[in-house]
Amino acid sequence: MSTSNVPTAVCPFSGAAGTAESASITEEGSAPAAPIVVEVGVSAPVAEWVTIPDLYADPFPIYQRMRSESPVHWVPAVNRYMVTSYAACHEIEQDEARFSADENNSLMKRAMGHSMLRKDNPEHQVDRDSYGATLRPGTIKKHWNEIFTANHDKYLGELVDKGAGADFVWDYAAPYAAENLRLICGFHNASQEDLQRWSQNMIDGTGNYADDPEVWVKSATSSAEVDAAIDEMLPYLAENPDHSLLSGLASMPIPLEAIRANLKMTIGGGLNEPRDVLATTVWALLNNPEQLEAVKNDPKLHAVAFEESVRWVAPIGMYPRETTQDVVLEGVHLPKGSRLGVVLGAANRDPKVFEDPETFNIFRPKKPHLGFGGGVHFCAGTWIARAQVAQIAMPALFDRIPDLRLDPSSPSIDAGWVFRGLTKMPVTWG
Amino acid sequence: MPTITFAQSTGAAAEITVDEGTSLMRAAVTNGVEGIVGECGGQAMCATCHVYVRPEFADQLPEISDDEDEMLDCTTAERTEASRLGCQITMSGSLANIVVDVPSDQV
Repeated sequence: MSTSNVPTAVCPFSGAAGTAESASITEEGSAPAAPIVVEVGVSAPVAEWVTIPDLYADPFPIYQRMRSESPVHWVPAVNRYMVTSYAACHEIEQDEARFSADENNSLMKRAMGHSMLRKDNPEHQVDRDSYGATLRPGTIKKHWNEIFTANHDKYLGELVDKGAGADFVWDYAAPYAAENLRLICGFHNASQEDLQRWSQNMIDGTGNYADDPEVWVKSATSSAEVDAAIDEMLPYLAENPDHSLLSGLASMPIPLEAIRANLKMTIGGGLNEPRDVLATTVWALLNNPEQLEAVKNDPKLHAVAFEESVRWVAPIGMYPRETTQDVVLEGVHLPKGSRLGVVLGAANRDPKVFEDPETFNIFRPKKPHLGFGGGVHFCAGTWIARAQVAQIAMPALFDRIPDLRLDPSSPSIDAGWVFRGLTKMPVTWG
Repeated sequence: MPTITFAQSTGAAAEITVDEGTSLMRAAVTNGVEGIVGECGGQAMCATCHVYVRPEFADQLPEISDDEDEMLDCTTAERTEASRLGCQITMSGSLANIVVDVPSDQV
């Protein structure tokens, strides 16, 4: 081991002091055998005080208390362990051998089929590779940006036409994101309204913990409509290829069952997330005039504001994992088969990583957040979201409506925890 | 066994001994090398394992694929002739003792 001024390398995520030196010793096996330490871990505390209505209204004070008590709790109301520290969430993301995405009794599998999001490698990678270059930066630059710009002109125009008092989410962000998604997927036989309905109904199924039969009926109806739309589009796109996901899939040896499940997952995740991050970012800027002014004066800050918004309010606040063996996670013992909720919404506000974490601040020191997930399931739509929100929508929005502001006569409402965003955001100008 | 030296802009450096077949990104993340994030786990999808490879090793590197090329356009720190993604460099005999510079910004 030759070192030149080796720093004690502390992992910025886990805080683990994995120094280069100790790594080398382990690799070479030249050090005396370390005493075998069996990690036992403590039991997770039970957070019986956490309720779903409280999480839905505002999860962040709950996450603050949970993080300060333990990185992991058993939460009876959610019927799973909730993992709230940055280090623990990051450890899970990087280790799919111990923390499987292929959850048993998954509501998502029931609502959408078995998509890549609930598969582990090597099966996951086959599905992921089947998406080809459609969502990658090269295709975005060469193809999608122009389409996103045209869509944005249309829906921003509709917002302006609707006039002061229009709802930023439902009159603009949602149809814009839905129309982009429709073309990315390749549903030339559907409307953006269809995409919105499919997405919401199947997401409601994915979150149907109450087992409401009516929710299942709507989810199944939308799922069947998506199947029919895919069946119609695949032969058409095989003859008339474009840059869409279905076009690529039309010529690929991928089972139809996987195509259907993956498209449904994409319809779920590809709509709410850009819609919500666009609304949340603009809402945060309108509430922080100094930061808004800075963004207007420096176009590079649109991307910074976007990332800070994803950190501050992760649009996907929690996703599931299941332990494949007994594990000790940040000192907490979890038996094999434990159902976990990886709470990105909490990890991204961990004060051990982010100073003054509850505050939206585009000037904070840049650090990696977990909003897009990490490891093999890192969000496939990350660059699409960055392009359509930070690159296309935000600059054009503030250019066209420079005096955009929140409607003082009708307050905005932010809600949700598994998915969080603005459910109502009336705006005004002029 | 091959070694990788990660040189920081502060002047500090860490030399890590790894097994053949390990990617430069994985070696850095496993050993907590500051400034290498590796968000996407090695799929050339996030551009957070950007490194500058010292010129004397350039000939030994694999060709830049289209995926890596487009992602290198998305790095936070400036892309240069020496820019590569750590996840796309797998350690093998000819790269023994490679030295890379870690950019000041990764996100």
